[in-house]
Amino acid sequence: MTSHGRTDVSPADWLEAMAGLRSEGFVLFDFLTAVDRGATLEVVARIVNPVTRVTAMVWTTLPADAAELASLSDYYLGATWCEREAAEMFGVTFIGLADTRPLLLRASLGKPPMRKSAPLVARAIRDWPGAAQATDDGRQGGNPSRRRQLPPGVPEVFLHDDVNGDVASAELASGDQR
Amino acid sequence: MIPGEAHGTIALSASACTSCMICVRECPTWCIELDSHTEQVSEPGARRPKTVNVLDAFRIDFGLCMYCGICVDLCPFDALAWSPEHDLASTTAAGLVHGIEELESTWPSADCAAEAGTPGGDGSPSDS
Repeated sequence: MTSHGRTDVSPADWLEAMAGLRSEGFVLFDFLTAVDRGATLEVVARIVNPVTRVTAMVWTTLPADAAELASLSDYYLGATWCEREAAEMFGVTFIGLADTRPLLLRASLGKPPMRKSAPLVARAIRDWPGAAQATDDGRQGGNPSRRRQLPPGVPEVFLHDDVNGDVASAELASGDQR
Repeated sequence: MIPGEAHGTIALSASACTSCMICVRECPTWCIELDSHTEQVSEPGARRPKTVNVLDAFRIDFGLCMYCGICVDLCPFDALAWSPEHDLASTTAAGLVHGIEELESTWPSADCAAEAGTPGGDGSPSDS
């Protein structure tokens, strides 16, 4: 397969660009997903021309706090599944998508879990194994000069000590994950 | 036949491990646990006893491990190595947590290590 390369379009041109490629023979829909870049969210779709075996990747960039995009489901019925997945995992709203039922997650879960702003709950409910230190049985009082190690990439509120543990559990219980 | 350099599982040489905790702290999936304590060792001729770490327990939860190999790459003492052994299936989640004995039993043979160009063979639990 050869690649048509990467095409970047504005969200407003998304539907038109995809419809144009479809009329050029890119009739096979492969996948659609999103990439969290922090302030922005990129959505990418890969489509294939099954006759020439050329693939195309079409990208668009949305603001992370208002991620709305026209649904491809009128042009590619198979995009429905991927759009439902991107909606529940990344919080993209697809305008015109008829079926918005979540695929895997409960609707009440809260923040889309694949957003970087949604901390991994498994990191909150478990102690970091790296915090363990060799127990000192040769001397009294341990080694005070050793600095406390912290797990990389875990929000402060998730770190387990007597104070933060309570805060993390309270936030989790209220469903407000930062 | 499974090639010797195959990334089937991760094996441990407990005698090479210094309990430095680098693998535990760098593991992205938090699948490694290590318990150790320190002991004072007096060596003849030394002015004062030396403090050494003694490994008590080492566990890899292969239900969490994603086989990224970061622990193998980062171990400064080559105490972790890829092994072509791959038959890790278990009927329970707890059965996927392998301790020192299981992790040493898969240490690659000298042949595998030579093929893979990685540590192994020498310093293996059975050799030492």
